[in-house]
Amino acid sequence: MIWLAWRQFRLQAWLAAAALAVLAIALAVTGPGLTHLFDLSGIPGCQNDCGQLAGNFMNALAHTGYELVFYLAVAIMFLIPGIIGVFWGAPLITREIESGTLRLAWSQSITRTRWLAGKLALAGLAAMATAGLLSLMVSWWAVPVDRATGLAAGRTGASGINRFTPVLFGAQGIAPVGYAALAFVLGVTLGVLIRRTVPAMAATLAAFAGIQIAWPLWVRPHLMTPLTWTAPFNPAMLNTLSAHSPDSMTIITGVRLPGSWILTNQTLTASGQADLGPVPAPCKTGTWQACQTALLRLHLRQIVSYQPASRYWEFQWIETGIFLTLALALAGFSFWRVRRRLLG
Amino acid sequence: MIWLTWRQFRVQAWVAGAALAVFAIALAASGPHLSSLYGSNGLTTCHGSGPCGTAATSFLQQVRHDPLYSALYNACFGLLAAVPALIGVFWGAPLITREIEAGTFRLAWNQSITRTRWLAAKLGLTGLAALAAAGLLSLMVTWWSSPIQAAAPLLPRDANGFSVVLSRFQPLLFATRGITPLGYAVFAFALGAAAGVLIRHTLPAMAVTLAVFAAIQVAMPMWVRPHFISPVTATSRLDTANITGVEFNGPHITVYPGIDLPGAGAWILSSQAVTASGQPFTGPRPKACGAGSFQACQAALGRLNLRQQVVYQPASRYWDFQWIETGIFLALALALAGLCFWWVQRRRLT
Repeated sequence: MIWLAWRQFRLQAWLAAAALAVLAIALAVTGPGLTHLFDLSGIPGCQNDCGQLAGNFMNALAHTGYELVFYLAVAIMFLIPGIIGVFWGAPLITREIESGTLRLAWSQSITRTRWLAGKLALAGLAAMATAGLLSLMVSWWAVPVDRATGLAAGRTGASGINRFTPVLFGAQGIAPVGYAALAFVLGVTLGVLIRRTVPAMAATLAAFAGIQIAWPLWVRPHLMTPLTWTAPFNPAMLNTLSAHSPDSMTIITGVRLPGSWILTNQTLTASGQADLGPVPAPCKTGTWQACQTALLRLHLRQIVSYQPASRYWEFQWIETGIFLTLALALAGFSFWRVRRRLLG
Repeated sequence: MIWLTWRQFRVQAWVAGAALAVFAIALAASGPHLSSLYGSNGLTTCHGSGPCGTAATSFLQQVRHDPLYSALYNACFGLLAAVPALIGVFWGAPLITREIEAGTFRLAWNQSITRTRWLAAKLGLTGLAALAAAGLLSLMVTWWSSPIQAAAPLLPRDANGFSVVLSRFQPLLFATRGITPLGYAVFAFALGAAAGVLIRHTLPAMAVTLAVFAAIQVAMPMWVRPHFISPVTATSRLDTANITGVEFNGPHITVYPGIDLPGAGAWILSSQAVTASGQPFTGPRPKACGAGSFQACQAALGRLNLRQQVVYQPASRYWDFQWIETGIFLALALALAGLCFWWVQRRRLT
């Protein structure tokens, strides 16, 4: 069974190896330059408040083209699990159904369970290995960027984009391994249910995209109870002051929590109301100092709910564990379905 | 032939229609409130760059911090970037390869209809559907995000890094607004069909279409698009009064000039400080900039006789570029369609 599974999987394995090699070369070529730039930025030797140096470094990346490489690498990391699910997972069973070779395979002395186990194991492990290797390469390459974004406090005072925020979380660490496993098994399951290749590929893409969008929005923030940080309103960190209507203003205040994932950031009255009242007169026409004094008199509070940077690896492991468990559950369902029904 | 094409295309049409409808409802529900937010920040009545700049910054910060609007804004990008590729992979590649793999092309070619007519109906009708889907999507997204795009040029120059990101000429926005998505969709569709006739197996054709289309989409803004029309080079003196900021990062020194030569909405290809002889300025860093006031650093840099050289495409050329790019992709699509017709004529039935 191993030989047969390999024989059917050969082309995809070579393509994956070639793609990995190309990416490895690209990252190896640009990696030392990035590290050199990072060493020159002064961040490794800086003791406290390295935010300005980190900001300079990020701007230098934008001007030298490394930022483009970084975004391409992140985009590839986000696309790879979906591509694995669509091109490796969905056709695994449906190709055999459509070409009729399923009947040949099932009329051999090997059981259906053993047959599916061989195919799933080989391609599934290859999928996880591909995603893992890619993630390893990208994470190694992006170490300077991660350190800089973990320090940077932008002019808004917020932690901005860092490896914990949803934009980058799924592109590094071990999360891509879980994603690849789930996407692959999702493809196989939908193939078993739909039994036609192209519709199964489309359904896998839609389902996996839906999971990837819904997960960081509604599930990941609650994997561990967020921490709450609260402090009196600090006018020096004021980001925006605006008024939708004459009686109610909204204030957005920056916060300095480097490397953490900010979930909510609200500026409220002392009693916790979101309605801050009208814009103080000195802020409409007057000096910045007078406006600051007027705002301080309102005794506002800033409440931030966030996941601290120290929890990054816990979140990676929890998320990978959940996705692997889901993958195993779907695989179990596929086995049951293949044994109980005629698919041809 | 029209009925047959529709019959084979039915499922894809319904799925696309449903997805478009859902997205249209989401945009229609949130669009009016976005416009009213634009108005309530005073952007419809402001005069002058100062008040308009503050109003624009406030409006865009509110949009950025609102989870619904920022999610929808990103969804617009994601959908418009993905839809041409999806059309190429799921509508274009299986168009002919499914018939080849199933053998039904022999039945189709044995009818009284000519092969050319058969292919013309399939390519033409599905291609029109692709054009319509991409066009509708682009129209919806351009309408919904028009307040944001209208506020972008009003921003003051260094407002939290927004002004560059939101310039409609920069690659990501250029590819997802206006008429370029139509060109991409038709091209991806034709690419899928051509890959299908050359490779004759569905899965490899889909993979090749995806890879080639992605490569072209990455290569186009980097190496081809800047040269459609010769860019404009402008130079301004970097004297003491003109330097608003400087950053040193190893060999890379970035000087921020006070004059915005290209203007709002331009596509800046390169912007660097050059010495009097025209070479890029790489240092050495003046001593006054290491430890001292910014004024001393400014004065030291001003004495070096530097100039800011900006190579850019002015904002007025935006629609020229849109038409040129769409034209190129439509021409490529026609060439690929011609390839499909030629192959269909040559192919033997056995």
